[in-house]
Amino acid sequence: MTPRYILRRLAQALPTVAGIIVVTFALVHLAPGDPIVALAGESGDEAHYRFMREKFGLDRPLAAQFTTYAGNVLSADLGTSFVHGRPVFSVIAERLPATLLLMVTALVVSSAVGIALGAVVARRPGGALDLGVTVAALVGYAVPAFWLGQVALLTLAFGTGWFPLQGMTDARASNTGVEAVVDVAHHLALPALVLAASELAMITRLTRAGLLQELGKDYVRFARAKGVAPGRAMVRHALPNALLPVITVIGARVGFLFSGAVLIETVFAWPGLGQLLLSAVRTRDYPVLMGVFLLVSLAVVVANLVTDLIYARIDPRIRYR
Amino acid sequence: MSGGRRALRGPAVVALVMSLVLAACADDDEDEAAQETTTTAAEEPVRGGTLVAALSADPGHLNPAITTSGTTHPASEILYNGLVGVDNDLELQPELAESWEITEDGAVYTFTLRDGVTWHDGTPFTSADVKFTFDEMLLKLHGRTRASVGPALAGIETPDPQTVVFRFKAPYAPLLQQLDVTEAPILPKHKYEGTDPSQNPTNTAPVGTGPFKFVSYTKGSEIRMERNPDYFKDDLPYLDEIVIRIIPEQSAQVLALEGGEVDWISIPGGPEFSRLESAQDVEVTRTAWNPGGSNCIMTMTLNLDRPAFQDVRTRQAIAHALDRKQFLDQILFGVGKVAEAPISSGIPWAHHEDVDLPEFDRAEAERLLDEAGWTREGDGVRVASGVEGVPDGTRFAIDFLHFPTFAKYGELVRQQLGAVGIEVTQEPLEPAVFPGPVFQQRDFDTNVISYCNGSEPQIGVRRMFHSSQISPAPFTNAAGYRNAEVDRLFDEAAGEVDQAARGRIYRQIQEIVAEDQPYVWIVETEGARAYDAACTGFKFQNGLFAEAAYCRR
Repeated sequence: MTPRYILRRLAQALPTVAGIIVVTFALVHLAPGDPIVALAGESGDEAHYRFMREKFGLDRPLAAQFTTYAGNVLSADLGTSFVHGRPVFSVIAERLPATLLLMVTALVVSSAVGIALGAVVARRPGGALDLGVTVAALVGYAVPAFWLGQVALLTLAFGTGWFPLQGMTDARASNTGVEAVVDVAHHLALPALVLAASELAMITRLTRAGLLQELGKDYVRFARAKGVAPGRAMVRHALPNALLPVITVIGARVGFLFSGAVLIETVFAWPGLGQLLLSAVRTRDYPVLMGVFLLVSLAVVVANLVTDLIYARIDPRIRYR
Repeated sequence: MSGGRRALRGPAVVALVMSLVLAACADDDEDEAAQETTTTAAEEPVRGGTLVAALSADPGHLNPAITTSGTTHPASEILYNGLVGVDNDLELQPELAESWEITEDGAVYTFTLRDGVTWHDGTPFTSADVKFTFDEMLLKLHGRTRASVGPALAGIETPDPQTVVFRFKAPYAPLLQQLDVTEAPILPKHKYEGTDPSQNPTNTAPVGTGPFKFVSYTKGSEIRMERNPDYFKDDLPYLDEIVIRIIPEQSAQVLALEGGEVDWISIPGGPEFSRLESAQDVEVTRTAWNPGGSNCIMTMTLNLDRPAFQDVRTRQAIAHALDRKQFLDQILFGVGKVAEAPISSGIPWAHHEDVDLPEFDRAEAERLLDEAGWTREGDGVRVASGVEGVPDGTRFAIDFLHFPTFAKYGELVRQQLGAVGIEVTQEPLEPAVFPGPVFQQRDFDTNVISYCNGSEPQIGVRRMFHSSQISPAPFTNAAGYRNAEVDRLFDEAAGEVDQAARGRIYRQIQEIVAEDQPYVWIVETEGARAYDAACTGFKFQNGLFAEAAYCRR
């Protein structure tokens, strides 16, 4: 795992990203729909629609629009949002922290809790606890995130009043310092938990299955025979090997997590990229749509790279050159 | 937040809230319109406090002069003023203009501006701001104002800082209705001069003259505003602060209102409306005014380019086959009314009260279809036999295009036309997609559109009927209706200044189009505002909704 390897991997990502730009540009522009209604409203006259099309360059042939766009992207310019009238870069940057906070929290919670839970139930496979967790995990994995979100909103937020109903902050208070952090954490809890739910379920299942497989192997039996305590044999010996597939899956889930975040953000009025993407789809704000797609694909590429690097760390058999 | 409405459930509070609700209900019965601005005489407005309002999508920017967007307008209008305002009874009120004079039979309007008005940054407001806003923003980028005032206007003059003169090419009647903060908000010239108004940074840190001043805009999350202490209307506003929260889901907005996190939401008619109406600490007021348009009629279009719809009997049959009461009950839960005429009852001076629209009568529909050559065996789909332009043996099967949110209209149309032997296929299309097949390709049989009449038929009604409006521009003459007499009458009405005389012309138009039946006018929809019963003093007819609002808590 050398810096050279990392550079090479990043260089390999370039054609991928170029392909993504071409394909998403085609998909976004060839899909039926027209940003003109969102831009010009519903009651303008023909001259107004013509004027707006020209103003936003929508009257130009698609190929010309693409050349301009690709040229701009190469010079790190994602264009100007039709709706916001500001650079796409800053429109996205304003929303990114909220989504990152939500996704990273969900990722950390689901990974940590999922692995721990998997390890606990693997100690007594077939026991009552194992059975309960298995059923819960299956349900958690099968339930769609938006439904779970609605239910959580109705029961845990509206029903009990334990959690706020919407947003990232309290609208009536202007908190600072520690209070502000607590306020955001309070608002974050429910959406993050819901987003984490299906990931959590899957990671628990994977960890459990991996551990059960490893625990039956000779090296664990040997460790136990030479006097290593059962808990230590599991954590020190079996777990690192059992985690290999888990880590691959966690890395590969970044894209899925984002699509989950799109739904969760809408349910909980969380002011992130998901909401931005959704309204950009509605108004056909092409520059913003392209920008978000580009960012998400980059994130997936990077997540895969990071996964590979962590993999090499954990598994001494793997060496990258 | 600490507490919220749920915590207010002490018996005393319940009693107080109940009495407020009851008082408001009593008002409702007597005079729905008057209840809105006026509060009981004995009641002194309370100063201070924060009002949290919900908005369904991030507006992107806060410049209402360059868009007719249904999110930018409700998020920003309270920061600005128009020259003239409209109150809850649709009466004109002076705003930035103190008075006005109409000369040369309505071709010249002279406005005297209010003295001593300043922008939120302290710069004095003058006639130059008005001229600049019209010339550089409203007449270029505000769709409705550009399309209506634009072609008629010869020019705007500013003889002195206190006077603005609008000079028209010919007498132009509807101007005063088009100068409120929705149609013509006035923006500061000193912030926009020499820039592209659609990319000016002031759009996200706006400066207005309105009752509230901009404080902050957290993208995707909230817009905060504070009381403007120098507002030109004495004593107003009462509230210290307004927070507009972006909550995309309608159901989440309703929960947030009930849970006390939000004080004010806009909702369409439907199941949520009835739920809120029965909630005890929430007040609900209906209004035909909405940021996206007012006085809207859900209208089924029959594409007159299609041979099947050439025969007026077929069009009448379709109108007879629709039980419009069911649309009102099942889709709108009673919020609205069955359409009685082609022009909305919300424009009383133009609305025709006695025009004959076909009543629901299935037997009559069947008879007309038989007569028009669509024969039917048993309960099957009708088949053409001697319909002009349609080969014999063609089944009467049509498509019905609609926004996904209007799916229920499609279901009822399918069911009710199915009962008279017309097979309907629903085609849900997103708003961004819908104008393509309907207005650009004109490739559809029928559809449903919410045509908003607004307050001026020349803008909101003419576009549906005038033959010059058969165009690729969205939400124009979808039926492809042509009638030289109707064209002539609309042109005549545009130059008529006397409102009563204009009303007579519009009634004549309604009689003709009701007979021709290019559309089926189904229901007049209404929106509603739901708000914390502790708050009162709202306006429902324009964007200065909280100018005089206050909350008792």
